[in-house]
Amino acid sequence: MQAVLDAISSPRRREILRLVWDGELSAGEIAARFDVSWPAVSQNLKVLRTAGLVRERREGTKRFYRADHVALGPVGAVLRQMWEQDLDALERAIRRDRRG
Amino acid sequence: MRSSERSDGTGVAERVVDVERHIDATPDEVFTYLTDPEKYTLWKGQQAELDPRPGGLYRVRMGPDAVALGEYVEVEPPSRVVFTWGWEGSGDVPPGSTTVEITLHEDGEGTLIRLRHTGFPSEADADLHRAGWEMYLGRLVALATREDPGESQPLPGLSRP
Repeated sequence: MQAVLDAISSPRRREILRLVWDGELSAGEIAARFDVSWPAVSQNLKVLRTAGLVRERREGTKRFYRADHVALGPVGAVLRQMWEQDLDALERAIRRDRRG
Repeated sequence: MRSSERSDGTGVAERVVDVERHIDATPDEVFTYLTDPEKYTLWKGQQAELDPRPGGLYRVRMGPDAVALGEYVEVEPPSRVVFTWGWEGSGDVPPGSTTVEITLHEDGEGTLIRLRHTGFPSEADADLHRAGWEMYLGRLVALATREDPGESQPLPGLSRP
């Protein structure tokens, strides 16, 4: 359980989970949606996979990821709340920027 | 002497990135996209400082929190450029830890560009860089054929509007 909580404590990893919640994406597609370096994306995917929250599928040299809803279990509901909080925080930041 | 097996059990072959594309432009034209900062950022990165001569350094901002750094090892216009590659602040792929070799070959009226990236600590890192180079070389192909490749990657993420 601690590994799961550690995994979802990071906003970037929560964002990855949101991206692969409804469907599978390749590691490259996930990296293209992020502002961080490719090794950082790779590291975050590794943490999510080790915690059992995403499943990895290999096809040649490509890796695809999707959220493991069963493994997430009740954590899924917590995640959805956290995503809303992430969005609220984003909205506040945008408003603050506009005012500033 | 380097071991051919590492702790993750994968051989060196799986951790080599090879990407090859045909471009409808001469090697001379294509080479300028590798060494001219203004042309460079049309296909890769948002900001580039390049000193393309052996021993010269480069620094490319790939995204708000991602900076690629390295040193040119060989620069032979219009056929070959070799440079080290790494990411500022990265423990897995730090500056100087990997090497990129790009060669340009005449191919009909165009160019065959071959990219080889070696030295990755894991297969996962190699796979991600392969996906990245495939995307960027795709943009270079589009540019050279006068198509608009769109705004430079990365796409805006949720965490940073």
